[in-house]
Amino acid sequence: MAPPSSASSGEDSSTPDTTQSQLQHSFLLHKASDKLISSGKARRRRRSIDLSPTKTDDDDKKQSDDERWLRMEAFQLVWSRIESTINHVLRNINARVFDHIRRWVWDSFNAIKPLATISPGPFPLVSQVTCTQLFTGLLLTNNMEFVDDISTFQELGLCLKSHGCHVANLSSFDFSSKNGIAGCLTSLLRQFLMSTFDAADMSILASWYSRQGNYGSPVVVIIDDMERCCGAVLSDFILMLSEWVVKIPVILIMGVATTLDAPRKILSSNVLQKLCPCNFKLGSPAERMDAVVEAALVRQCSGFAVGHKVAVFLRNYFLNQDGTLTSFVRALKIACVQHFSTEPLSFLLGWLLVKEDSKGVQSEKAVKLASELLSLARNQIAEQTEVTIVHSLTELTKLQKLWSTVVLCLYEAGKCNKTRLIDLFCEALDPDTYNLLASDGLTGTGKGFVQSLSSDHCMLEQNLSYRKGRLICQLLGRVRDLPAALLCRLLNGWKNLTVDVPEIHDKVKELQSIVKLDEGSCKPDLKEISRRHTSRSPLKIGQSQSINEKAAILMDCMVRDFMKPIECTAFHEIVCYRNVENLQSALIGDSRKMIQVDLLEFHKTLQCSCCRRSGNIPLPSMPDTSIMYTLAQEHGDLINLHDWFQSFKTIVIQYSRKGTSKLKKSPLKKRKERNESENKSEASIQARFCRAITELQITGLIRMPSKKRRDCVQRVAFGL
Amino acid sequence: MESETMLCTTDQCVEQEPQYTHIDRNEFSQRRHKKQEEEEILICECKCDEKDLESACGERCLNVLTSTQCTPGYCPCGVYCKNQNSDMVKEERPQITRRATRSSALAKSVVEETDTSSQHPNDASASSDIIKEESPQISRRTTRSSVLAKCSNNVVEETDANSQQQPTLDDLVIGEGESFSFDDLVSSFPGKESQIKELVHLLGPQNSPMLPIFIYGGSSTGKTSIVLQTFRHLKRPFVYSSCLTCYNPRIMFESILNQLFLHRKKAENGYSSAKRCERPSDFVNFLREALVSIIGNPQGQKSGLSSKRSGKANGNMIYLIFDNLERVKGWDKGSTVLSLLFNLYDTLKMPEVGLIFISNTSPDTYDSNMGYVEPNPLYLPDYTDDDLGQILMRHQANKKLYTSFLSVVLRPFSRITRRVDELSSAFSLLFRKYCEPITDLGVFPNEEMKRKLFSQFQPHIAPALNEIFKVSTQPSTEVEARERKPKVSTRKSRGYEVADQLDFHMSTSAKYLLISAFLASRNPATLDASLFDSTGGSNNRKRKRKVSEKSMEQKETAEQELLIKGPGTFPMERLLAIFQCITSVAEDPLDDEEQAQDGLGIQDGHCGLMSDVLLQLTSLCGANFIVKGGSCPLEGSTRYRSTVSEDMALQVARSIKFPLSKYLYRR
Repeated sequence: MAPPSSASSGEDSSTPDTTQSQLQHSFLLHKASDKLISSGKARRRRRSIDLSPTKTDDDDKKQSDDERWLRMEAFQLVWSRIESTINHVLRNINARVFDHIRRWVWDSFNAIKPLATISPGPFPLVSQVTCTQLFTGLLLTNNMEFVDDISTFQELGLCLKSHGCHVANLSSFDFSSKNGIAGCLTSLLRQFLMSTFDAADMSILASWYSRQGNYGSPVVVIIDDMERCCGAVLSDFILMLSEWVVKIPVILIMGVATTLDAPRKILSSNVLQKLCPCNFKLGSPAERMDAVVEAALVRQCSGFAVGHKVAVFLRNYFLNQDGTLTSFVRALKIACVQHFSTEPLSFLLGWLLVKEDSKGVQSEKAVKLASELLSLARNQIAEQTEVTIVHSLTELTKLQKLWSTVVLCLYEAGKCNKTRLIDLFCEALDPDTYNLLASDGLTGTGKGFVQSLSSDHCMLEQNLSYRKGRLICQLLGRVRDLPAALLCRLLNGWKNLTVDVPEIHDKVKELQSIVKLDEGSCKPDLKEISRRHTSRSPLKIGQSQSINEKAAILMDCMVRDFMKPIECTAFHEIVCYRNVENLQSALIGDSRKMIQVDLLEFHKTLQCSCCRRSGNIPLPSMPDTSIMYTLAQEHGDLINLHDWFQSFKTIVIQYSRKGTSKLKKSPLKKRKERNESENKSEASIQARFCRAITELQITGLIRMPSKKRRDCVQRVAFGL
Repeated sequence: MESETMLCTTDQCVEQEPQYTHIDRNEFSQRRHKKQEEEEILICECKCDEKDLESACGERCLNVLTSTQCTPGYCPCGVYCKNQNSDMVKEERPQITRRATRSSALAKSVVEETDTSSQHPNDASASSDIIKEESPQISRRTTRSSVLAKCSNNVVEETDANSQQQPTLDDLVIGEGESFSFDDLVSSFPGKESQIKELVHLLGPQNSPMLPIFIYGGSSTGKTSIVLQTFRHLKRPFVYSSCLTCYNPRIMFESILNQLFLHRKKAENGYSSAKRCERPSDFVNFLREALVSIIGNPQGQKSGLSSKRSGKANGNMIYLIFDNLERVKGWDKGSTVLSLLFNLYDTLKMPEVGLIFISNTSPDTYDSNMGYVEPNPLYLPDYTDDDLGQILMRHQANKKLYTSFLSVVLRPFSRITRRVDELSSAFSLLFRKYCEPITDLGVFPNEEMKRKLFSQFQPHIAPALNEIFKVSTQPSTEVEARERKPKVSTRKSRGYEVADQLDFHMSTSAKYLLISAFLASRNPATLDASLFDSTGGSNNRKRKRKVSEKSMEQKETAEQELLIKGPGTFPMERLLAIFQCITSVAEDPLDDEEQAQDGLGIQDGHCGLMSDVLLQLTSLCGANFIVKGGSCPLEGSTRYRSTVSEDMALQVARSIKFPLSKYLYRR
């Protein structure tokens, strides 16, 4: 950064080509009037748009620094919103289970408390056999991968702590066979007593528990991932705890990733005997995923949105690859980062958020951004006025809101059939469907809503039914089949969801009143009707048929009129990330392939003139590693080191010969020199060879010689 | 050697002239005297300089550096070698002085006398050990008093802090105050009367010394309880240490010493032990110190002295109980500790100390050929059916009802296990089920009712027999129940719902990997080509020859062998190859489907599944579905083994619609 001393400092700088940019910086830091800034930015803006993005003009780069900063700020704003929303959702989702666990902990503590007072001695003495059982909660996390649940267990610990339990969180690292039982006891004591002991011993814990203030509340030991623990150490630990349970009322909570069989697999029967288990279930990853998608993407907590392809990619990545929320959130973050780093207009999203939040406080920034916006409008969108842009942005947010309302309504309808929101989300984002409908003139934005409601059949089904497996069509069918009670619930849900959209809200209310009337009139044969409906008899007549049908038509209209995918709206580039290829390469990244490509086609990177024409023939001017790898292509499974070295040498020497032949020297001196240089070069070639081979080994392309065949290395990577 | 020196040092209790027999060479009680082979003798490279005799085998000598003694006759420095046992170097020989006090000098002299005859270089370290041990011996009197002072200090603190009473020897007695008669004792352990009597007999009266007792028997036969309750009955002080809780020698030593020193770990003393004690030799010294202070001091001012004089226990037996002794065998230096414990009786030479070992394995399983006094064995047999009935009946409210219940269940169950803990936990659940039809639990069942109950209850018995670990769900999950209720006829439309049958989440690629691991473990490697090669597969399998009787037999034995061996191991390369095959076969139709459904341009199906297989493999290993086996000695690469059951594999395969059974090799 340029020194903020004065504007003239830029002119003094020694390098002439950076003067302008430095001038700019000092200029900015001095905070001149707004008008000047905006003009400066406008100039910059124009340039960065006019010029190709690959242009590496120093001047331009420096100029766009400021804008990048704005985008950075916007990113931080948006991402912090998303992150806090996700955290909030995840915390809420576990609350119920935590509550169950808390109650169970206290119940079981009350069951063992009377025993705890029996033995006053320094060692546990047991009078009854049955009371050595250890209350054990098995918390099923329902996910084979463990990452998502680390925070869950931390939070469980905090929750129990806040309700007056002593809590220690242990993980499988404490139960390694290397450290043995001492490892987990040390960590247990460290968490309870806040200090380390070189001889960790249960009697210390017992005497700690008998102290004033500690006595009288349960001691909860949480083991995060039971499956990963070393079985022997865990069984020792359990046996020890069960021996001491009369003195220390320990309650164990173990996280089980797979099935309830898992303890049976790693613990022996006499250890299992000591456990008095009770199981709890966390929400499944799919449920949690839906909750996160709902909060972060459908409900538009931040304004950031993803395109259809990105959504599908995210969904597939979750289902096929990883299955953890952690990686989903990471993918979302990468998408967010890429959006803000590639999309020049993306800082407007930050502005939108700020505007939403507080109109007065950040006015300065808003003004700045608005002026920016103005200049943008002039340059990019064919001299449109500021008003248009602001208007279309608000329009965009409005449409988004409508869209999310409809999606949530659909989700509500699909809830009883276990429709996953993420599938629905992907489908609702699909621009093709909407375009298809629009081309048939079946869509409208609100105006035609009332008219389209008057039609007596679902347009969607007719138009979309040929595409098999459409989720929305299935949902329509289901709404038609819904028994009355559930329909009532659904309408209630819709009423709550559509509070902000009066058009739909009114219609829902209307429907509800009809239902209520119905209930009053034909309650006796409600059962019969519902039965008839589930059997889907072709002779559907009567009131309730029309209600179900009406609900379906309402849903149909909602979808057609209000569910406009974001990619079909104007200015969606500002808020919507669509570049799925970038995201994929950032997430999956085929590193080994990239290394091989780089080695074989290095000139694309280096862009040197000397080896451009080579094709696949190794040239001495190539980097050593590239030469080696090109040579290795000719070999099969095993590469003889000597042969390899010889061919490497011939290629390299070619070069050095060429080099020395240019020098004209007296023959005698030349021979001597050559001898010397040959010796020298021999050593240096060997060194280069070794270095290149090490590099190849580090990149994982070859494997070092085995003991059986010392003269050969093994090729690991074949083909691209 | 060790027992010898201990013998020497223990004599200080006796004020009379110590009686010892002079031995010419060390007597090895635990092992045979090892003779050093000539090629084992380490010869240093020192050169002896005539002028500078000090240089002979000095600090730079190889043997000095490796803490070995030079062997006379082999050292190049010859007689000038300084790297010799101190008694080899002819210096003034210590005189045997007979002093009135039981000083350590006496012990030292004896030791050195015995050492002079030893030629063994290893003895050098041993003798130096003894010299080290001297120091606590010399200052014994002072330490004891200082410990006492320390004890009393602690007492003051304790009374201040916890308003507890001063700890005395009585604290080592359990069940004070209350009376617990022999009949009570016997009645609380049905069927164990003879064993209890024998135990009491072996313990003898309060003031008579006893040999160590070794109590053994299967788990849950009442070993620990009987011993502890017997002591409760006898009201004698004892120190209990379970080798389960005390998981290494140091903690065991310190826990015993803490109890003997009447020391409590607590916040005021930083939860520290009375003594820091890691080495067995330290333990013996401290133990003796503690025992002397306890036996000689507070209780028997009158009897203590006399007991010392006579060398006979006059009262105040104190017992050390070592529970779960079998655990010691698994310790790091288990054999050393075991020999120490078994030798403790000989080493301490204190008749006031009784040793009781409790183990669930018989004494034969311990290496008994170690030259200590064999402890008296006492075997506790398993309970008989009647005993079990009595024990289980003890805390029941409605004895009649429970009797009828036991008459149904006890027979089949006692054939499987006779452990009281297992039975009681199994029965508590079953009894609840048994009582379900009855409204009034206080009812006395008649014959007809019994029969009715039995007919209702009978189907529950057989499954319960195999149930080791029953997990109950929290009853207050009513919300879940409500959610489950509105299960309307669901049409299985997509992979999601099917996947839910597997009750935990796994990504698709992990599922494929699991299946391929299962296949790799299950199928012989030679079959891979025919199974997965799309061309060669079918015809190879169809070609069925008529099988002869003999080959059938061979097949059968091979089958059994495989069953015994369990799932086979496989290298990672094979796993990856199978994975690639099955994903390429199975992905294609699925891909098309997805493409049609989602209108998806970019499908990362196949190559996407491959991307982070190694990561998935790690997490499968973490979930214990695949076990990383030992590396093959020839190849040096790690081998894996799949541990999933066939049911589970089929379940997983069903969830991704993979035709697993097609690929399974059926013998």
